[in-house]
Amino acid sequence: MMLEFAIRRISLLIFMLFTLSVFTFSLGYLFPGDVLTNFSGIDTAGFSQSAQLRDKYHLDQGYVHQYFAFLGRILQGDWGRSFASGGQVFDHVVTLAPATFELAVYALLVSVVVGVPAGILAALSQGRWLDKFISGATLIGYSLPIFWLALVLIMVFCLQLGLFPMSGRISLLYEIPSTTHFILLDIMIAGFPYGGQAFTDALHHLALPTLVLATYPTTVLVRFTRDSMLNVLEQNYIKTARAKGLSRSQLIIHHALRNALLPVIKQIGLQFSALITLAMITEVIFSWPGIGRWLIDSIYQRDFPAIQGGLLAISVFIIFATIFTELLYTLLDPISRNQAHGKL
Amino acid sequence: MANYKLFTEQSNISPLSRLWRKFRTNHVSLVGLWLFIALTLLAATAPILAPYGINEQHADALLIPPSWHEDGDVRFILGTDDLGRDVLSRLMNGATYTFGLSIVAALVTTLVGVLVGTFAGISRGLRASFLNHLLDITLSIPSLLLAIIIIAILGPGLMNTVWAIIFALLPQFIHSVRNLVVDELSKDYISAFRLDGANHWQILVRGIFPNIYERIVVIFTMALSLAILDIAALGFLKLGAQPPTAEWGAILAENLGLIYLAPWTVALPGILLFLAVLSTNLVGDGLRNVLKERRAD
Repeated sequence: MMLEFAIRRISLLIFMLFTLSVFTFSLGYLFPGDVLTNFSGIDTAGFSQSAQLRDKYHLDQGYVHQYFAFLGRILQGDWGRSFASGGQVFDHVVTLAPATFELAVYALLVSVVVGVPAGILAALSQGRWLDKFISGATLIGYSLPIFWLALVLIMVFCLQLGLFPMSGRISLLYEIPSTTHFILLDIMIAGFPYGGQAFTDALHHLALPTLVLATYPTTVLVRFTRDSMLNVLEQNYIKTARAKGLSRSQLIIHHALRNALLPVIKQIGLQFSALITLAMITEVIFSWPGIGRWLIDSIYQRDFPAIQGGLLAISVFIIFATIFTELLYTLLDPISRNQAHGKL
Repeated sequence: MANYKLFTEQSNISPLSRLWRKFRTNHVSLVGLWLFIALTLLAATAPILAPYGINEQHADALLIPPSWHEDGDVRFILGTDDLGRDVLSRLMNGATYTFGLSIVAALVTTLVGVLVGTFAGISRGLRASFLNHLLDITLSIPSLLLAIIIIAILGPGLMNTVWAIIFALLPQFIHSVRNLVVDELSKDYISAFRLDGANHWQILVRGIFPNIYERIVVIFTMALSLAILDIAALGFLKLGAQPPTAEWGAILAENLGLIYLAPWTVALPGILLFLAVLSTNLVGDGLRNVLKERRAD
């Protein structure tokens, strides 16, 4: 049963990746400008080089041929050159993506740690002041434009109080050799240089972007957990358990929580896609050297190979995250396996 | 405990007025509704109401703080920016761009979304499976990212943003409408209706739509709040409306350099954006709660 479900999901994954690759390939034609330049990123090719490139990109053959050549290049890590920097797009993606994932993972952690308990508390005190307070705060957090929130936080904490730095991942004073490109990991690998000051500095740099990025997923998780919990508390088995004479805490811990938190797991995974998108805005504001800021910069500079590569990397990551969460969720929740047959 | 219902008097209130009666008791939602109506009116009439033109410059009045400040000037109630433009007029016109265009985008999305969603809901077999898979893919990509992709193709600009947002919101909308239709189709009253000899069209128009249109309004409010946030975010990232267009996000981005000198030029558009999204969410949340309560009756 589980295996069948896994096979279905994996075939869906392949279908999704196929569609995505076709779309990315067609971007070369959809973007304004010369197709060869869009693919290769070399806009000053002379006549002989141009002919060579046309040969390499199979531009004289049919679209199907070109697509397979494109697929081969993507798999080999040849994603073309960026107009702006002249470097390989793939290298940019590899060095920049960890910064974004680092930010997203910490923000997700914060939102789970804060959001899920807050949602449970709100559901348990339904209708009382605590519930009203949490729900009100959630509604406000849900409606705040995140770029404005970031600006207000910068105004208060960086400019007025001077508690946190405004931009970047780490102060320029510290030089950390980048092995994994995850800043905290790199500092740990380097053995906490500068007497641990580099580590605290990196944490200081992380604080505000993480807070800003965590706002939206936290509010979503609070709302979702609260609804899910209230839903479970209305079920008949809870009434039965109560009729058996279980105490409130037994009822909640043994019966309500387990069932209520199952759909929350799925929701946590789905937040990843929202996080990656919002990370773009956060990165722009906090000058965080991640893939999102690079992608937005590439759009300004009309750097088509970079846009193509950035979109591909982000979308592939989101698709994998979605499928992975779904598999994990199915592993934990046996009921959902029965709905595997093409129903949404 | 069983819930006893004693029917002492006959009440024949229509579902819609029952909805309104319940909605009215929730004051927070009601405030949201008034705010929403006010913003809609402002968006429609801003060019007439605004005291000055959008790009009318006053060379004698640069960076004047709001009028309640000591150095303020009563001619410019919310102050002026670095080019001597009246902030109030710009913000009022911003309602037309940010809020008005979001409403247009959400309406277009609703129209197309309902059509395609119903079609996806009533279709069966291979066609439905293909549509669902396609929806699955686009659903996993968030609307803002989708909008950014579309803008990367179309190029920056306000109208391109609107198109991008419509396309980006559509998958979610179609998905929700499709689920509503499928849910409704599996109910007994529709089966009875079908056994009475109703055709597809009659089932849709007389059976399904009267039962789901209120929930479509709820989906509409969700799409609207996303649209406002996306238009403003794209304007802020300089991918949407370009200065000197008075779109709230673009105003924010334009005045970013003044954040020290003239914090009001950054704070005010943000507050307005917040209010616009909050009022939309309040109406949507209130409506959803009321619908739930009415069903529980």
